[in-house]
Amino acid sequence: MIHITIHDKACRGCQLCLDICPTNVFTFDAAAAKATVAHEEDCIGCLSCSYLCPSGAFRHEEHRIVKNFYRDCEFLSRMEKFL
Amino acid sequence: MAHTHTSKTDPVTINTEWLSDCSGCHVAIVDMHEKLLNVLETVQILHCPVLTDIKDYPKAKIGLVSGAIRTEHDRHAAEEMRKSCDVIIAWGTCAVYGGIAGAGIVHTQEEIFDTVYGNNKTTITHAAPSAEISPFEQVVTPIDEVIGVDLYLPGCPPHPAFVFDALLTLLEGRAPKATKETVCARCTRTMKRTGVTKIKKNFDGVPERDVCFLSQGYICLGSVTLDRCMSPCPANGTMCTGCAGATMQILTEPNRDIRTEVADRMSRMTSINRDEIISEIEYSAKSHYSYTMAAKMIGKKPTFLINKWIANTEAEYE
Repeated sequence: MIHITIHDKACRGCQLCLDICPTNVFTFDAAAAKATVAHEEDCIGCLSCSYLCPSGAFRHEEHRIVKNFYRDCEFLSRMEKFL
Repeated sequence: MAHTHTSKTDPVTINTEWLSDCSGCHVAIVDMHEKLLNVLETVQILHCPVLTDIKDYPKAKIGLVSGAIRTEHDRHAAEEMRKSCDVIIAWGTCAVYGGIAGAGIVHTQEEIFDTVYGNNKTTITHAAPSAEISPFEQVVTPIDEVIGVDLYLPGCPPHPAFVFDALLTLLEGRAPKATKETVCARCTRTMKRTGVTKIKKNFDGVPERDVCFLSQGYICLGSVTLDRCMSPCPANGTMCTGCAGATMQILTEPNRDIRTEVADRMSRMTSINRDEIISEIEYSAKSHYSYTMAAKMIGKKPTFLINKWIANTEAEYE
């Protein structure tokens, strides 16, 4: 099963992930003003939340990685080297 | 001074070099003041333009190269650094992406020389200097197109905490850990949905202190910029200008871009139309893309039509 973690400090409470998620995985904790993962089992691994999050706060594990048709292979080879 | 330093275990030797940049990366290190002394217990700084008087390139384990390649001297210095160091780190945005000087790619060398020297309204000389300066190259080049680079550390300048974390990573033999969080991740402004309908220029009005710039209609690049700075700009009342370069998802995927990603988020936080935000960023593209446009990952994107955008903007002036 896909496992999602939200970097607690990085989450800014903008709720964009709640907007974009096609399967309503997230709920909003109004008291803490943070998004929380409520229905992880429903995640289809589309990574829309991860792409839209302004902070880059999402980590997905055990999801199927689909290679984009269009990608910058030259840069992908450098990505590992970023500090 | 530093090269005479001794300690019980052999310190790790470091060369640094400074190509075409503003010197900010080096000054950020000197700005550590006495904290620098703690670092000197584990590292030995050899060639370093701001700290030592070593002119040649002694053998060193780690080489930090800041700045882009703009002149023949830059190219020579980068090659000497590669020969003398085991590991080369592209240090700072200019070295990684070309930086601000990289914005020179939208003009020819002749245009730049004419504006700076030939027809500069604020100087009385009208000729470019010809003696004792290194010849210019036609374009600005990030260093990895000239020499092999082992690691990349963008930032303008990278906060010294990241520089020394990087050095520790190497000293301890750990794999480098790229953090993908953006400037937004450390910003403390409240992101809220607003009914704002108009894009504001950064000089329009006074932004509210505690509310996200995007929510207020100001274009802020925090969400498309790697955090290598600890987010000082939004904390001090000004929008992020994207100085540490774009996030990994923009760099690796040609269908993603600075302007579309900002527009996606901003149009959801406000009532401003997504296309309107994209046009506004294209209108001032030289500012919004200034740090990264010399890098192939941005400059060669099929959707990056900087010359067309600049022509449109200039047509509006006239």
